[in-house]
Amino acid sequence: MRLRLLVCAGVLLVALWPCPPCRALLSRAPVPGSGRAPQVPQPLDLLQPQPEQQQQQQPQPVLIRMGEEYFLRLGDLNKSPAARPSPLAAGTGSRASPDQAAANFFRALLQLPRRSALERGPDDALGGHQEALERKRRSEEPPISLDLTFHLLREVLEMARAEQLAQQAHSNRKLMEIIGK
Amino acid sequence: MPPNFQLQCRLLLILLMALRGESRYLELQERADYDPFLLYSSNLKRDLAGEQPYHRALRCLDMLSLPGQFTFTADRPQLHCAALFISEPQEFITIYFDLVSIDCQGGDLLKVFDGWILKGEKFPSSQDHPLPTMERYIDFCESGLSRRNIRSSQNVAMVFFRVHEPGRGFTLTIKTEPNLFPCNVISQTPNGRFTLVVPHQHRNCSFSIIYPVAIKISDLTLGHLHGFQVKKPSAGCGGKGDFVELLGGNGLDPSKMMPLADLCYPFHGPAQMKIGCDNTVVRLVSSGKHINRVTFEYRQLEPYELENPNGNSILESCLSTL
Repeated sequence: MRLRLLVCAGVLLVALWPCPPCRALLSRAPVPGSGRAPQVPQPLDLLQPQPEQQQQQQPQPVLIRMGEEYFLRLGDLNKSPAARPSPLAAGTGSRASPDQAAANFFRALLQLPRRSALERGPDDALGGHQEALERKRRSEEPPISLDLTFHLLREVLEMARAEQLAQQAHSNRKLMEIIGK
Repeated sequence: MPPNFQLQCRLLLILLMALRGESRYLELQERADYDPFLLYSSNLKRDLAGEQPYHRALRCLDMLSLPGQFTFTADRPQLHCAALFISEPQEFITIYFDLVSIDCQGGDLLKVFDGWILKGEKFPSSQDHPLPTMERYIDFCESGLSRRNIRSSQNVAMVFFRVHEPGRGFTLTIKTEPNLFPCNVISQTPNGRFTLVVPHQHRNCSFSIIYPVAIKISDLTLGHLHGFQVKKPSAGCGGKGDFVELLGGNGLDPSKMMPLADLCYPFHGPAQMKIGCDNTVVRLVSSGKHINRVTFEYRQLEPYELENPNGNSILESCLSTL
């Protein structure tokens, strides 16, 4: 019971705390020049330790909003994750710290062992809320799409047709050679 | 008849009979050399089967219209790649991932989409596909090896992929399976002829031609009525029951295209229409109560036809965006 109160108090404190303008805290591709590839964020990865990340950065505020933005999927194929603005990554050169900070925060608040979504109990209100938020975000985000004009589509289609006809001619030639024996 | 003559005739007859048997033997000899089933012989099959399947490297942006094995290997970080697959209208596409070497945790991506999706517009549309949009994506990083074999619901499919690390990639094998009643089709060619059949199925089927075409509907069967169903021309089809509609637009999604005509009332002769849009769709709406069939031919419009619209044509609605 006490733990629940602590969790709720912490959540309210963070939500009401004045924070800088919201920004994308997480991205998925390494910054050009950085030597480390980030972890692909997964909803459950928040609760999973990331031992390969050594740097300890200052924790980022607005974790509730981070929770909303965190589950934004790839969305538009045109927008490279590497091109997403990430002030944290721009400042420190590392993309792993928001994940680490978030993981530390949730571990500190919840002090729950690592569990899978299937094992979560009905009393995990915060985790359930995050999952519902994730599902809603997933359903709202635009699907991955290819930005190709009809002109280019016809060009590649005609190239594919030419390839198919060439292969068919090759097969016909092989067939005639066999029949002619 | 003198006995000698009779004897000669009998000998002649016997000789003729013997020769006919011999000639039949020769005929059979020749027949033995001629094997009409040579094309289906096991030797021929072995010779053809011994051929290696078609194999080539997959490009970052690629279109495949024939079965085979295709390998993508990143020579540098490739972050925006897609391969489109298209088969014959009466075929399904089966994608099998032979080998996948990508770093999902590192941000690599490998997703198969059931259909085509360009600029946010998908074919088949959400109305014509049995699955919701997000379920039409199969993410290899999420499903892993459990979904190595994927079959499309129509003759088109595509795969999105992103590989950061040079040297990584994947190999996939494309095969085709027969589709007895093709429902949603994208034509590979700007000219052709097709019959769309929907037998007692409550579904809407679209045939898409991504060219400006002149289309001629020669036969339409809605239920038990042949030719064209009798209805008051003024009433139109009303969007109810079974009917055929012609759509035109500059996107891929039939649900976002402009209806140009609907057919459920009588015409004298075949109905022809020139549609100068980037995409022309013949859509058959079926309630499931009848066996519906529509046959149509289409040919690509010539440049002069696009410049000088006349006759039964609807070009103005799409010309502004061409």
